[in-house]
Amino acid sequence: MEPCELEFIGENTIIGVIPNFTMDPIHLISGSIGPFRAGLPVHVPLWLAIHMKKQQKCRIVPPEWMEVDLLEEIREEEKRSKFFTKMPDEHYMVISKLILCNAADDVPSAEEIRTKIKDIFDIRDAKLRTSIKTFLQGSGTYAKLDNLTQFEIHTVRPLLPHALDHIARYQRAAIAAERRTTTMSNSGFAGSSGHNSFFSQ
Amino acid sequence: MWEKQYAEKAFDLIKELERSNESIPEFQDEEVRQILEEVKAIYEENVAQAATISNSGDKTLWPLLNYRHAALQRNKRCLLAYLYERLRRIRCLRWEYGPVIPPEIKANLCEPEINYFNNYSKSLASYMLSIGDGEGIDLTTDLRPPKALYVEVRCIEEYGKFELEDGEVINLTKNSQHYLPRQQIEALIRQGILEHIVQ
Amino acid sequence: MSLADVRDDLNISDEDDQNLSDEEELITAQKVLENLENAWLNEQNCPDILPHQTEMLELMLGQISHMDENMKSLDKNDFRFIAHKMELERVRYIITSYLRTRLKKIEKFTKHILIEEDSRDDEHKRLSEEETQYAREFHQGICSHFNQVALQYMPPNLQGTDEKQMIVRPNLLSHIYLKAKKDVASVVVGADDEEVDLVAGSQHIIPYQLISDLVLSGKAQLI
Repeated sequence: MEPCELEFIGENTIIGVIPNFTMDPIHLISGSIGPFRAGLPVHVPLWLAIHMKKQQKCRIVPPEWMEVDLLEEIREEEKRSKFFTKMPDEHYMVISKLILCNAADDVPSAEEIRTKIKDIFDIRDAKLRTSIKTFLQGSGTYAKLDNLTQFEIHTVRPLLPHALDHIARYQRAAIAAERRTTTMSNSGFAGSSGHNSFFSQ
Repeated sequence: MWEKQYAEKAFDLIKELERSNESIPEFQDEEVRQILEEVKAIYEENVAQAATISNSGDKTLWPLLNYRHAALQRNKRCLLAYLYERLRRIRCLRWEYGPVIPPEIKANLCEPEINYFNNYSKSLASYMLSIGDGEGIDLTTDLRPPKALYVEVRCIEEYGKFELEDGEVINLTKNSQHYLPRQQIEALIRQGILEHIVQ
Repeated sequence: MSLADVRDDLNISDEDDQNLSDEEELITAQKVLENLENAWLNEQNCPDILPHQTEMLELMLGQISHMDENMKSLDKNDFRFIAHKMELERVRYIITSYLRTRLKKIEKFTKHILIEEDSRDDEHKRLSEEETQYAREFHQGICSHFNQVALQYMPPNLQGTDEKQMIVRPNLLSHIYLKAKKDVASVVVGADDEEVDLVAGSQHIIPYQLISDLVLSGKAQLI
């Protein structure tokens, strides 16, 4: 899936805004929003929040994980852990990008937060690349991907699945060749045992 | 008769298409004709030889017969691959330009390809019309996720007052920035008065 | 199935809903949208063509035209109008992208899909009627072009268009990303019959064919 599509999906995230107008609830297909009371926080989808912000109809309430100390903790934990830690939000990359681009003035220490999030992503990205390398050098065709977010999974797409498809093809050819030569052989190498935990515990 | 290998021309045909930078290069009428002639000639040779074999019972010619048959199939395969890939590119035209092919591209198509395009276009149109309650949906637009009904624009040429549908009047002075309904200002963007600010 | 919906801000009457017989199942527009979003994600990430979501699609298209109609009376610069309009554009994108993804597969694997479809009974058809017709016309178009430009000039034994090697097939063993929606025990994940238990919410990369049944039954979502 393309980055614009991942952003599109992330935009469905519900987020807090403080409107500067008053209005009855709006019944969207995806769920009702409002009532809107000037000065009182209310939850809306991110796509609408960004529009309201651009029209100067609201302030955005950053999600609670967009906070320097918390992100610092996450970054340190990510550094320490051999595996991927759980992110505070499945769409943390899309959400932080959209909010920081469009409503940086509503985010205390926006610059610092931007840096921290980039750090976290970079650490995870490096980890992901190492994991893939190890995984591809093994003989498995299956792996668990726990705690990776959709955005991260798709940064390695289509490379990872594509490489695996090729490896699997060679393995099938090799197995077929092996069958032709030995009828009773147990030395198959298509197994994925022991090679499926590079991405998570 | 053939200094070169069998089916070499047919293979060249695909290679050329693959290398071409144009969306659709000119249809290789002459090459296609030559390939079809090669096919005919190989076939006739085989027919003649098959007759010789059945008359004389001489089986030593069998491998040659098989070899030629493989050459026939390779020719067919390459030629169809050439046509098939061109059809794929021709379909892209429908999604890119709509039901009318731009003349400079049309010049590169052969008559049957133009017919193919028209039939494809018709077939796609009636499929799209069949979606929903007779209203239909155009699948060839909105190829990317919708970003906004409103867009951020910068005024790059002095324009002056511009009235929006709701009666609001905005002043489009040079270098001023606005957040406006996309539909209403698309014409101004095309005319080069406003430019879309991309973040 | 019918829409049980909250549309009071658009003054859509609920009369239709009251006329429903007891057997008819009510589903909210929100749920229909969710189903369509999932179907869209599945279709985009799946090498094979999945069962067409005709019912969900029709419900949502009905909802959209209802709303389009009712929105005509709203002021175009009203926040309410804009919120609805923006959402409708998003829904429309999901629908068109979903249908486009299917068309692309139909165009690429035409003959393969038609053969599979013919072997399925009515209950298990994957294409909508319109898609099936489109696929047939599409296949016909290619065959007749081949005939017209090349095959008719070839010897009789080379004129066929239905040889096996001319069928383009998807690689069902290609790797996909998967999120388990429910706990599923003992899923075979490797060629040596290795099994793992999928925990709800867990994510995996795995050849599609090994878990295609989980996608079809809704126990897992492609991501």
